[in-house]
Amino acid sequence: MSSVLRATGLSKSFGGLVAVKDVSFEAAPGEIFAIIGPNGAGKTTLLNLISGLLTPTTGRLELLGTDVTAMPTYRRCRLGLGRAFQVVQPFPEMTVAENVLVGAQFGSEGVSSSEARRRADQALERTGLDRLRDQPVEDLNLLQEKRLEIARALATQPKVLLLDEVMAGLRPGEARQAVELVRGVRDEGITVVFIEHVMPVVRDLADRVLVMDHGAELARGTYAEVTSDPRVVEAYLGVEDDDSRAGEESADARSVREAPGDDAGATAGRDA
Amino acid sequence: MDLSLLPQAIVSGVLASGLYALVSVGLALAIGVIGIVNFAHGEFFMVGAFLAYQLFVSFGFDPLLSLLFVAPALAVIGALIYLSSIRFVLRAPELNQMLLTFGIGIILQNLALLIWGGDPRTIANVPYRSLGFQVAGVSIGAVPLGSFVISLLLVAGLYWMLASTPLGRAMRAVAQNRIGAGLVGLEVDRVYLVAFALSALLAGLGGVMIGVIQSPTPTVGLGFTLKAFAIVVLAGLGNIRGIVGAALTVALAESLVATLVPNGDALRNMVFFAIIFVVLVWRSRRVA
Amino acid sequence: MRGLTRDLVATAAFAVLLVFLPSVLREVFGRASVSYLSLATNALVLAVLALSWDMLARTGQLSLAHAAFTGAGAYTVAVLFKLTGAPLWLGIPLGGLVAAVLALGLGSVTLRLFGIYFAIATLAFTEVLKAAVQRLPTAVAGGAAGINVPALFRPTFVAGSMERWEVAFLRNQGYFWVYAGLLVVAVVISVLIQRSRLRAAFTAVRTNEQVAGVMGVNPARMKLLAFVLSSFVAGLLGAVEAHRLGSVSPDGAFSVHTTVLALVTPIFGGLYTTLGPILGATVLAGIEETLKRTFSEGYLIGYGIVLVASILFMPRGLVGLASKLVKRGGASTSGRVGGASGGAADAAAEERA
Repeated sequence: MSSVLRATGLSKSFGGLVAVKDVSFEAAPGEIFAIIGPNGAGKTTLLNLISGLLTPTTGRLELLGTDVTAMPTYRRCRLGLGRAFQVVQPFPEMTVAENVLVGAQFGSEGVSSSEARRRADQALERTGLDRLRDQPVEDLNLLQEKRLEIARALATQPKVLLLDEVMAGLRPGEARQAVELVRGVRDEGITVVFIEHVMPVVRDLADRVLVMDHGAELARGTYAEVTSDPRVVEAYLGVEDDDSRAGEESADARSVREAPGDDAGATAGRDA
Repeated sequence: MDLSLLPQAIVSGVLASGLYALVSVGLALAIGVIGIVNFAHGEFFMVGAFLAYQLFVSFGFDPLLSLLFVAPALAVIGALIYLSSIRFVLRAPELNQMLLTFGIGIILQNLALLIWGGDPRTIANVPYRSLGFQVAGVSIGAVPLGSFVISLLLVAGLYWMLASTPLGRAMRAVAQNRIGAGLVGLEVDRVYLVAFALSALLAGLGGVMIGVIQSPTPTVGLGFTLKAFAIVVLAGLGNIRGIVGAALTVALAESLVATLVPNGDALRNMVFFAIIFVVLVWRSRRVA
Repeated sequence: MRGLTRDLVATAAFAVLLVFLPSVLREVFGRASVSYLSLATNALVLAVLALSWDMLARTGQLSLAHAAFTGAGAYTVAVLFKLTGAPLWLGIPLGGLVAAVLALGLGSVTLRLFGIYFAIATLAFTEVLKAAVQRLPTAVAGGAAGINVPALFRPTFVAGSMERWEVAFLRNQGYFWVYAGLLVVAVVISVLIQRSRLRAAFTAVRTNEQVAGVMGVNPARMKLLAFVLSSFVAGLLGAVEAHRLGSVSPDGAFSVHTTVLALVTPIFGGLYTTLGPILGATVLAGIEETLKRTFSEGYLIGYGIVLVASILFMPRGLVGLASKLVKRGGASTSGRVGGASGGAADAAAEERA
């Protein structure tokens, strides 16, 4: 098996609006695969197609060699697909541990409750949430909520982990911790597919990068390759002149050109 | 199936559609502008009917005259209910909103049962009650025709108000964008209050007319809530403009089934509920 | 699992209490115990109704179709005995089964409906079912007039050895025990849900169905399971009610009132708990009895007021209120809180554990 996740010609349109246009990619076992692009590029829609929250209009998706194009979300999860959401969505009315336990208990077939508890404990420990296990989730701060997202996904014992902007809003120190966490996950042989706006994180983590714009693939390759691609630079720079896409996008554009100074190494700006 | 009854069934259906549109447009207003799915809507209708009945019994008011009294009365009742309860659940979970209005409906209905008892009440002895005429073998009653015309005038008035007055524009602005409307200086809370009062008023006027057409009991409200839901759901939730067409469709379906199917009268209500159920389920399966 | 054992022991104690309650009432109140017993029976009926609705609500399905399932149970019994000479006690399990199958059908088509849309669709379903039953051939379902149903208990008066009122007492006692049995069944189902992995799954589906799916929970299966369990209990209840009332009619069996009671009681008592619906039923049955004596019609206004007041002032119900009082009381005057509310709070706290 050469790829754990293979998308072939995935498209999704809502009414007349095409959100994802003919996207194909493969992620190899143990690879860290990044999806980047300006806001509205269709990244989260693509992730929703992969995890099954949306059904593609056309195209095909294989997970670990199984065709999952029309498979419901819970079966993809049990097959080995974990996901952390961009907008943190813990189950209210439950404690931290209970939240994680849902993933541990139902994320694989036939898990005994003692085994589920063991897996939940493990995920809590890895994400540094064990101290907070009995807290109601309403009491968590953003960093803790992001960790909970990852803990829940890990508790499902995934073979492929989808992360949607888990670094957004984190301070540099916190982001570094998260990067270490993702590396640790990969070292266990789990394939990581992640969407990220924080470019240094992409640079540090990603084996390969897929750049999306307007729903379609714009470029693909290593971090250095894509950030030196003139089309990518234009797509990011272009938005800064566009008033309607101001805000976060222009921040992304800046981070492409001048990665924050606390990280050493080549920046996209210098590469371009 | 007796096809000779077809013209009569169509005419009856069309005439009934006016009242249905009137009641439904009020519900659509509450849903579209305030975002509250009001399970008590049919009770405003019932209260209108029984107020008209009481005015008739106590003072001998003609129902046409009662319209002038019931309208402000229902607006006040609607406003009071908004101020005392609805206002507090605008941001609450949908469940709470639904159950709150459900509870208000139960209170209104049982209040009416306490006051008027469970028997059907009729506004009899109105000179024009049995008036009517025949056109090409189709009989048209003066009361159904009158209620059709009055209802359509009221619905048209609402459409005009929404399209061409500052208040109407405010309502549409609020409906489209609650936050934005607040930003441009509209007092969203006051717009809600007026919309809810107006919604109750329209239903109440419909009730006055049903008091002449039928002999309602205090439990008539929930049935009309559901009929209004059927129409609102068919038009698309929050779509005020589509109400007239949806009301016509539903009223015709009801009339045709009642007339043309043997023993169809018992199926009358089933038509509505079947429409609601099928439309909701069908729409839910199409999205995905 | 300690929690489960404790809950089951508590349920068993409750069951024993119910077994002896009629005799105690009889000893204490004599003749008046006949009406006390029927009041207690009403509370049991309401508790079963409320608890079965709550099980479904735990998955976020706010059904307005509960009357459809009690009605289906009632009509199963009525039609069974009209058409066949089946054994007297066969109708009740059959009623539960028919209701469960019906729920499976309704639940499957409404899987994609949420919140208000689900509520309206289920209400519409009830009305369609009512009209359909009314339209069935009179020889089968009795039309609008309905059908008579044989009684489960026919105690005979034995002159000399008993008093007249004791006949009524024995009849009431029989039904009381049957409903007590139903409540115990409902409580055991509810406790098993709350003490197993189902609780987390139901809560996950209720609070965020999409994320629940991504975490490996099969939302459709959970929703259908809850629907079937809830309706099975409701069907049993409707079947027994048909026996007790002696007849069924479309308007009575599929009455919106049943649905109203089913949802108001757990909201008042405390949603998504085992104790809340039972607590709510006990209080509401008392209120209803008082109102019924005062007004012949319109006594349901009490339910309307309770519903509105609960939503506005007591969003977590009696159970929530009790646990709040205990928390406050616990800080200042610990241990001074009465047994009933203390127990409720314990259960609420346990529910979170």
